[in-house]
This record gives sequence, structure tokens and C-alpha cells, in this order.
Amino acid sequence: MPSPAVGGQPGQTPDDVVTSRRRTELSMIAFAFGLVAFAFISCALSLKGQHPSTIAEYMIAFMIIILGAHLAIRRWAPYADPLLLPLGTLLNGLGLVMIYRLHEVGRNGNPGPANNNGTIIPITTLTSSAVVLQLVYTVVGIGCFVAFLVFIKEPRVLQRYTYILGLIGVVLIALPAFLPDSISEVGNSGAKIQVAIPGLGSLQPEEFAKLALAASFAGYLVARRDVLSLAGKRVLGIDLPRGRDIGPIVTVWLVALLLLVFESDIGTSAVFMGMFVAMIYIATSRTSWLLIGFFGFVVGAFAAAQLFSHVHIRFSVWLHPFGAYLTQGSQPAYQTAQGLYGMASGGLLGRGLGNGMPYYTPLVQSDFIFTAFGEELGLAGVMALLLIYGLLVQRGLRIAFMIKDPYSKLLAGGLSFMLALQIFVIVGGVTRLIPLTGITTPFLSQGGSSLVASWILIAALARLSDTARRPPPRPIQEEGLTQVVSLK
Amino acid sequence: MNRALKRISIAVLVMFLLLLINVNYLQGFETTSLSTRPFNIRAVSQSNQIQRGDIETSDGVTIASTTPTNDIYKYLRTYSNGPVYAPVTGNDTIFSATGVEKAEDPLLSGTGSQLEFRNFIDMITNKPQKGATVQLTVNSKAQLAAYQGLQAALQGTNRVGGVVALNPSTGAILAMASYPSYDPNKLATHNGTALNAYDKQLIEANPSPLLNNATQTTLPPGSTFKIVTSSAWFAQSATRNPNSMVDSPQVLTLPQTTNQLHNDGGEVCGSAGANGQTTILWAFSQSCDTTFGNLGMQLGGGALKNQADAFGFNTNLIIPGVATAPSQYITPPSLPLTAFSAIGQFSDTATPLQEAMLAATVANNGTLMKPYLIQQVIASDLSVVDSTSPQQMGQPISSTTAGYLNQMMTAAVQQPQGTAFAYNANNEGGIVIAGKTGTAQNTLNGASPNPDAVFTAFAPAANPKIAVGVILQGAGYGASAAAPIAVAVIKAYLATLGIR
Repeated sequence: MPSPAVGGQPGQTPDDVVTSRRRTELSMIAFAFGLVAFAFISCALSLKGQHPSTIAEYMIAFMIIILGAHLAIRRWAPYADPLLLPLGTLLNGLGLVMIYRLHEVGRNGNPGPANNNGTIIPITTLTSSAVVLQLVYTVVGIGCFVAFLVFIKEPRVLQRYTYILGLIGVVLIALPAFLPDSISEVGNSGAKIQVAIPGLGSLQPEEFAKLALAASFAGYLVARRDVLSLAGKRVLGIDLPRGRDIGPIVTVWLVALLLLVFESDIGTSAVFMGMFVAMIYIATSRTSWLLIGFFGFVVGAFAAAQLFSHVHIRFSVWLHPFGAYLTQGSQPAYQTAQGLYGMASGGLLGRGLGNGMPYYTPLVQSDFIFTAFGEELGLAGVMALLLIYGLLVQRGLRIAFMIKDPYSKLLAGGLSFMLALQIFVIVGGVTRLIPLTGITTPFLSQGGSSLVASWILIAALARLSDTARRPPPRPIQEEGLTQVVSLK
Repeated sequence: MNRALKRISIAVLVMFLLLLINVNYLQGFETTSLSTRPFNIRAVSQSNQIQRGDIETSDGVTIASTTPTNDIYKYLRTYSNGPVYAPVTGNDTIFSATGVEKAEDPLLSGTGSQLEFRNFIDMITNKPQKGATVQLTVNSKAQLAAYQGLQAALQGTNRVGGVVALNPSTGAILAMASYPSYDPNKLATHNGTALNAYDKQLIEANPSPLLNNATQTTLPPGSTFKIVTSSAWFAQSATRNPNSMVDSPQVLTLPQTTNQLHNDGGEVCGSAGANGQTTILWAFSQSCDTTFGNLGMQLGGGALKNQADAFGFNTNLIIPGVATAPSQYITPPSLPLTAFSAIGQFSDTATPLQEAMLAATVANNGTLMKPYLIQQVIASDLSVVDSTSPQQMGQPISSTTAGYLNQMMTAAVQQPQGTAFAYNANNEGGIVIAGKTGTAQNTLNGASPNPDAVFTAFAPAANPKIAVGVILQGAGYGASAAAPIAVAVIKAYLATLGIR
């Protein structure tokens, strides 16, 4: 199959017209709609007290929002990769279905957890308006997606704001650490990662900080890549950087540590550090940076496990999930065990949407939503989810390969790797592949910040792919030395 | 840059492969081992969606059943006459179970392997799955009489008591009552707060209502142990019979000490005079301590221990659905202590179950049957899944000795010199009861100066149908406090057989 990627390359013949592939996108979106609608209906049939009109309303609202995004792509990024929006749609839609399902727990006569009096109650953190709220977040997410495409016509524009974006990123990350616990702490988890505005809701600034910092790193690394790749001493076959160049990586390492220590946010810290190391490696192709970054993080994490009890608990729960911490009733241990039990009860094909007991896992609607899918859709379902994620990351990396401009290449590579790492950290965490660290599952978890940030990430990839695939300006007249071109 | 990007892509591929392999391992291979791990609420919750089977008595009275609810579980366990049957049924809480509820849980909850095929059929025919019904050996009339007797004697005190009735020829437990008792309904609640509060109250109560005093509480057997001593004495020589003469001093001076052993009221045994002899039948029925103390010293601790062990002392009885504690006979280290041990003092202890086993052995011609509580388990399609057949536990005494003891125990109740005569008074219609009283000084009763009242009996003496053991802590004389309860149980049970 001829790849559309070659379309934007110079030297093409006029016959080799680049197709925008918007129709492919539309048909894939229709396919995603079909899957989401099917999931909604299957869920509603298993649950008690559901009205078809409610589901129809949710589904129509969702379809209108997504079709709006599709039209925006047609208008402002006509050459964008055709799979980005459908994949995002499918994930966002399945997330909506799961939140709708979890919202029905303990409501309308559906089974749920019991409080101490034996009365069935809904999941305490899911209010009666949770589904509508998640739809509103989808609207905001798609709004930001469109705004990104409208206002940022060229990815390289962002390069101008390298330091401003860096500053914004660091301020956003550091903000919760300086706020009182009442505003920044999530529940009683000890994680200080949000900014809660009473009566309005809460915001997790780190979700946006990750994007701003990715753009900032790309700018910094493109400007300094030659200096950074200059070898210093060669030790044991590895080119070590010069001492003065090691500054930035130390800075980032310290910010990651700050996250770990003051905000108890191990997961984001790992994602953040990993993204930086990957980007510096892409920029310089020097293995030494990879090794320094990797060992820096391992040493930091090991030291943290020794020094801080909350990190230590995560490690022992990972090694012995059914050990002493579980019998003592430690929350991370209980949560991990219940998540695993949930996945186990799902088995190969799952219990079916609405038929499982995901409500026994604490925080199942956010960090542990993947285990809810495992319980109700089974191994088949989570494999499909992982493949959808994998496909999304693959599209991102493919865009990075396609782009010529180093800044855009680095940004696309960094964002894709960050997405992959975030999925690895949270899915690996809840399935006990690695120690559990609480971060959101992109597109699926309940909550606005994560969803909006995910859609901005998709917008950035769409813009990058649009730039990469856009055909060069066509000459208006055929002859003559001076060509007049139309610049839209 | 593309080379580095390629390597990063490979790293991403590896990450996704690891995730895929891991979920395959988790959901493909680990599901069974995870479902049996601790705190797996999903597994517990699933078992509570099935209607639990009933528990019923041998005469068809349902004592544990389920009612539909609308809370977290579909069914609530309910017990009729909860305190009466608590030691029989045990309890089934949302966290744990005891007694029969625990022993037969796989069949009651419908998950047992014997029910798999029936469950499969139910699934195909779309019938709601239901656990199997457990039928016990307990007779409702005997059980009620036993509990009411205990309640009347002990209500308002902080003393404990227990009653066990056995079918002598099979070992089937006809009644098993304990006091103080508790209401298992309050433990069956799905309301965790109420459950924990009641559980705490029960655990902190002293004496503990959760203890089955019929099988787990051991108290001194007192003179009922003379059945063991007599058995050992008869076994020594075939020429001995109830009319054999034995020494019956008014006062027994114990060797190695200046202590003397007197009879209960310091009286002379029978017509023997201060240092004369009397028949063993007379000494037994009048319960002369000097006679049996003396016989015990002649027999020796070893012979007494062998005889006691044969009756079930020092043995951990395993009865499905019943928690038991072993009764105790320790070989005494000296002759004077042997004398005390022969009359059920020193370190001797027994459960009401052991007392019933003594009478049952005599009643069953010397053969001891293994006590059991669960008669059969009936699946929801009315087929019998499991049933208990009577099992012999041993032959502690010969049938001749059993006959002698039958005579002597009958005399203890039916003849004027018998310790229980006054409380039987020949007026139990035509029922001839045979028994042995025990009145044990219990140093553990500190605050309560009264001795423990013990009675072991069987009836009808000629063709025994029921054997009963009763122990009431600190209630006084075995004849006046314990015997009436045993008589009530015997009458209630024999009435159901048409024997009046």
C-alpha cells in the first residue's frame, strides 16, 4: 500500500496528488461511534432502571462534539493523520461508557458496595452528574483541540516561546506544593497534585505542565543539541557530556524529585523524567544521556523508597501484594489486591458491561479504571484497549519519522513517548508489572484535566502531521523563472 | 535523529509487549489462584447471591432459613428459636461462620463439588440455584426441654450449664443445649456496625455465650465418675457382680497423710456400720465416697485412666459441626489423690457430652457409639447428597458389666436409698429411668459456694432410647438441680416415640 507519508516530499510529480484522507477519518469515526453506541446499549441492557432516551442523548451529544472536531480538522488541518481523531474518539467514548456504568453503581436498584449499615451506596466520588460532567469535559477538550488547530498554524511557532513554556510548566508543577493541603491534596491520599476551587471543581495542573514542558524541552534541545552531543571524556566506551552541559538534566532531575517528595506524585515524576531522557536522546543520539538519566532515576527512586514511607509501601506492595500490608488494611495494598481480583474475575471474556463488581476497587473510576475494563470486558477487552493505545502511539512516532524540521520531530517524538510511558506506568501499575503509582489513564479516567490535556496532545500531533503531509505550494503559472505561488 | 527515534520506537514496542504479556498472564493463568486470596470480596459476594440451604431438625422443624432482602446480598439468614439452637446451628455472618453453618458451608451455599452437576442442570433449566438442606439428628422437643431447663435453673446467674442427649444405639445427638446462649440472628445481619457491636458484646461477656457449654466446657464429674471406677472394678474379676461385698468404712483414712475421706453427710454407708461391708450396688446407689475412694486406691491410677480413656476421656472428639474440648483424667501422682480421682475429684473434668457418653455406653450394652450431629444433606432436588451412618467408637465395658451398671444406675433412681430417688419418686408414669448423680466441689467456683450439679441417665432402663448428660455449674446437688432437667428431656423425647 503506498504510504501517504511520501505525499509531502519534494520531487513529487503533479500526478501524485496528496489525498487529505478526511473521508477515511470520517468512516473510522463512524466505526468508533458504532463501537461506543454498542457498548452503551450493552451496558444499559445489563443495568436496571435505564431509559433508552438517556443513552440516546449522551450518544448524540458525543457524536455532535466529535463531528465538530472532524469539521475543524477539515478546515484547519486538512492533511492531518486520519487515525488520530477516531482513536481518540473511541477511547473517550469507552471512557464515557465506563463512567456511565460506574455512575449507576448503587443507583436505580443496581448492585453496589454497602456502607456500615448494610445499605447499598453509589461510589462516593461519583456524583449524580458525573456522566454529564464528563461530557462537558469532552466539550472543553474538543474546544481546546479546535482552538489549538485554529491558533497554532505552524508547530514551529511554539519554538519561540521555549523559555516561557518552560517557566509555565515548572510553575504549574510546583504550584500545588506551595498551596495548603486543603486545596491541593486529593482526598486523603497524601498526593498534593490539584488546585481545588471550592464550588467549581478541581484542576490538575501537572497534566498541562507535561505538555508545556515537552514543547519547552524540544525548543531547548534543538538549540543546544550540537553542544550537548559534543563529547567530553570517554569512559568505558561511553561519551560523557561536559560538566557545564549537565546543568539542564540536573535541573529536570531536581524538579522530578520535587514532585516525588513534596507532592507524593511518583507516577508523574517518572513520566516526566522518562520523557526528558527520551527527548535528549532523540536530540543528541548519545547513549550516555540515556544511561545518566536512567540511572539517575533509578538511584532517586531507590533512595526515595528508603527515605519515604509512602514510596516504600508502594515497593513492598508491588513485591508482596497479599502480604502484611494487605492484612493490616493499608489502602494501596487493598486497592492493588482488589484491582487484581477484579481482573481475575473478568477472565478471558469478562463479565460483560454492567455485570461485574468493579465498585469493590477503591478509586476505580480514575486510577483503576483499566481494571474495571479488565473485569467487565475481560482479557479480550483490555488487549483491544492496549492495541488502540499502541496504535495511537504508533501514529505519533510515525509522524515524528515523517517530519523534517528538527523541532517538530523532537516534539512529536517526545509527546508520543510521553503518552506511551504514561500508559505503561498506569496500566503496568494496576496489573502489578511495576510498582503502582497513581496517574490517570489517558482518555479513560474520570476527570477533566486529564481528558482536556489528552485532546490537546492529539491536537498537537494532528497539527504536526498536517504540517508534515501538507503538499508544497503549487505553482500558479507553469513557465518562467519566477514562480508565483499562493500562500494560504 | 531518526536512528535514535527508531530505538525509542523499539523501546515503546517492548513496553506494550510487556503490558500485553502481563495481562495475559493475569487474566489467563492467575484467575483461579487469585479468587482464593484473602479479602477477595468478589468471591464472598458471589456466594451470597445464592439462596442458602435450610437447616432442620430430625423431626422436620426448620431452624435456619433465608428471607429475601434488598440490600447488598440477596438473602438474609434467619434462625427460629435462635438461642435454643445456637450451639446446634452455629452462625453465619457476612465475615465468617461457625458450627454446622461452617462445617456444611460448601453444600449449604451450593458450591460443593457434589452439587456441581445439579447446579449445571438448574442453570440449563433456568431454575434459581439453591443450596442443599442439612438435616440434623436433633429432636426439637428434647432440645426445647433441655434449653428451657437450663434457662430456668441459670437465668440471672453468671454460671454456665450444658445438656447433651444421645441416642445410645447410634450416637445421634438428640439435644445439645448450652446456657448462656446468644441470638445468631443478630450475627446474621448485613449491617456491619450492628454485627460488630453484638460480636464485641458477646466476646466481652463473661461467661462467654459463644462457648458451647455442652461440648466445650469441662467441669468436675463428681460421683458420676463412679461409673468408670465400677467398670474398672468389674473388669478385674468375672466373679464380681452388683451383690459383691465391698469395704464401706464410715471414715476412710488416707495413706501417707492425716487426711480422712468422709461420705457427703459423714453418714454410714448402708447398714454396714462404722467399719463393715456392703454390696457395691448399695454403695453405688447411695454414692458412698469412702467405698469408691477405697476401690480406686485398690485399682490404682493406671487402671482408672485406661478405663476413663476407653469411655472417651483425654480424647479430642472430632464431630463435624460441633466444637469439642476433651474431658480429662490425669493419672494421680499419689494414693490419696487416686482416691479422690476415683470419685470424680482431683483433676477429673468432663463435658456434658462425656456424661451422656457414659450413660449411653451402659445403655448400649457396653458399646460406645461415636456422637454425630449431621444426619443427612438433601439437595434442592430432594436427592440425598450426603448422610452419616452410625459408627462404633469402642467397647469400653463388656455387656455383662453394662448389665451390672444398668442395675446399679436403676437402683440409684428407683430404690429408696438411691441419691436420685426423691426426685424421681416412681412417678414418671411407666418410664423407668436409670442414672447417676454427681455433686462436685469445684474450687474454681470461688465466689459461688455451691458445688456443681451433674447427672447422667438413660431411659427406659429395660430398653434404652435416650441417654442424657447434664452439668450445671454451682447449682447444688446433682439430684435436685441436674436430674429434673434430664428427666424433662427424657420425657419430652420419649413422648415423641409414644412412650409415656
